[in-house]
Amino acid sequence: MDEEKKTERKRKRFAARLKSSKGITCSEVPGPNIVLCNAGQATGLDKDAVFDLIKEHGLNIPLPKFIAEKGESHSFLVFDSTENAQLFYNICNGKAKADENGTPLYLNFVEEVPNTEIICPHENPKGLLFLNDFISEEEEKQFIKLFDWNSDSNNLKNRQVRHFGYEFRYGSNDVDLNNPLIEKIPEECDVLWKRLKEQGLDVGVPDQLTVNKYSPGQGIPSHVDKHSPFGDTILSVSLGSNVVMDWKHHSGKYVPTIVQARSLLVMQDEARYDWQHGIQPRNWDPVIENRVENSRNIKVITSDTVPRDTRISLTFRWTRRGPCECKYKTLCDSAEKVSADNLEDALASNLEELHVHQVYEQIAGHFSTTRHKPWPKVVQFMERVSPGSVVMDLGCGNGKNILKRDDIVQIAGERSSGLLAECKEHIRDISRADCVRLDLLNATLKDEAADIVICIAVIHHFSSRARRLQSISTIYRLLRKGGSALITVWAKDQTKSNYLCKSKQDQQNENLAETQVTVGGVNLPVHENRTQFKHQDLLVPWKLRKVSDKKLANSPDNTLLRYYHVFEENELDELCKEANFTIEDSFYEEGNWCVVCKKK
Amino acid sequence: MKLITHNMLTSKCLKGVMTGYPLAINATDIKVTEVDFNPEFITRVIPKLDWEVLWAAANSIGHGEGLPKTLEPKFEENEDLLKKVHKVLLEVEVEEGNLTCPESGRQFPISKGIPNMLLTEAEVQ
Repeated sequence: MDEEKKTERKRKRFAARLKSSKGITCSEVPGPNIVLCNAGQATGLDKDAVFDLIKEHGLNIPLPKFIAEKGESHSFLVFDSTENAQLFYNICNGKAKADENGTPLYLNFVEEVPNTEIICPHENPKGLLFLNDFISEEEEKQFIKLFDWNSDSNNLKNRQVRHFGYEFRYGSNDVDLNNPLIEKIPEECDVLWKRLKEQGLDVGVPDQLTVNKYSPGQGIPSHVDKHSPFGDTILSVSLGSNVVMDWKHHSGKYVPTIVQARSLLVMQDEARYDWQHGIQPRNWDPVIENRVENSRNIKVITSDTVPRDTRISLTFRWTRRGPCECKYKTLCDSAEKVSADNLEDALASNLEELHVHQVYEQIAGHFSTTRHKPWPKVVQFMERVSPGSVVMDLGCGNGKNILKRDDIVQIAGERSSGLLAECKEHIRDISRADCVRLDLLNATLKDEAADIVICIAVIHHFSSRARRLQSISTIYRLLRKGGSALITVWAKDQTKSNYLCKSKQDQQNENLAETQVTVGGVNLPVHENRTQFKHQDLLVPWKLRKVSDKKLANSPDNTLLRYYHVFEENELDELCKEANFTIEDSFYEEGNWCVVCKKK
Repeated sequence: MKLITHNMLTSKCLKGVMTGYPLAINATDIKVTEVDFNPEFITRVIPKLDWEVLWAAANSIGHGEGLPKTLEPKFEENEDLLKKVHKVLLEVEVEEGNLTCPESGRQFPISKGIPNMLLTEAEVQ
């Protein structure tokens, strides 16, 4: 067949597919915007490859803006003019290769490209100071000469490192004050504090220096420099390349900042003690622009990127002895920790209100779209319920476990009004089911009214043992003699489930510090989703995504934290026995501990 | 809220309340939807109900006509009765209104067919 016709047919098929599955409207009229139909972030296409295409074909045009959305196998190019877009189109459509296998790349013109810009609404951390062009280019060269190395000394997995004054110990994130190094901070550095003093900031002279060399693609996980071993100020000089450093606060704030080559970064106060900072491992950084909108300065993370070069950072610290005396307790290693295990009832109740009830109300709609199928084991159990039984589904959520059976009574109890509204809709055609808004701890249902109770993925949200036991005792109270219950909870051990994501797990193993959130004096670690649980009591992030509002799609402000107590093996069984239940079956299913128990 | 649900609701959890049962119904909007009649189901469910409470509840919202105050021993043979029970248990629903605790007078609103039985921590024993 005529090659050109074949290309044309394929191109149109892609246009139709983009329209039906992604809602992207392709245009037969040329314009400055082009969609690459079969190459994007998901197929491994990056900006380099696109620009190589342009250079390969000898096109002498300004480079277009490249927009590749996460997880998509298409991407967009925005040219400066229709003319240049047309040039690129003519040369590449059906001819250029989309991947290493030589699959042809298909292009279409589009009127609109997605806006992947993210607005950062937060100010920089307090106490964070960027002194740009703090050293001259000549000084930068001298420093690189002084500190650069080619040997693989102390090769940390993600970067290379050297120490002066004291060796930084990565296991304990501190220094051994009794073992100073022979190599002190080189006197060439003295100019830094002298200059800083001249500019009105007298910080004294540091005694510990860590030099890191980052190749493009390398980063450092989010961390706070451990409080007790180091003092109030940390200085960082950047050599060789700009980089984007991300700042995260435990309140959920996230602020990316550009750290310029030849700049001096001063961290004090909140920036030193209450925020975590890190550098993402990637070859490119997003271009961050400062704009004025409604006479307010805002920071915009654009979809455009700039390449990274090799960067050397000099981190100067002041060692200290004794416990840290800062006023920021969340990340402080000297602060007293309260264990979440035996919380007082009022504390536990407050924690659940903030990190269970309020979160479910906010995520109800979104939650429901991701939880529409009942678990096979629950269906199996429900299918075996004998006709004429009264079944109570406590903590029914959106009602996904209510079966379409017309020979049993199903009472669905739930605390979240948002989820209950979804449930009501779900049971509209199930005439023998009904909804009640209630709380499992104080269930307003008659004693011994149920033949069967199911309580699926609920009890792990109670934050003290006493409350978990109370919830199971309630189930016991509601059952008739001879009645049975199916109870499931999230297991701490996720190794035999689909929950874990291999690459994330590896990443997590390297992570030095973890985020903690304090709720009413209780410190709770924030879990990294899709990794093995490290603690029993923790907060699990829930990322809200609003399709309708692209600007907010990736905003970290939309991360909500749900409290979980993940169960050890036999822990649920023990609670059931304590509530007088007889265990009939106990098993592990897809990351959950499940118990079938009977009231004898 | 269906009357079968009402038959199981109690405000006993309230501080100072002994039985909290049955809750009085005040209905401002009642919906009646036709539901397939299944006599075996009704026969199996009736023994699990508090009959007098169902009778009183049905009467209080004007749907008690033809329901006897006491249940006859061989009710399963009376299809007419089973149909009436079927109707009050499954077809009649209180869409709007409230439930009232017989001892404390605490009211629980019913909105869009869902009774809100949530209690504050201060209210429970």
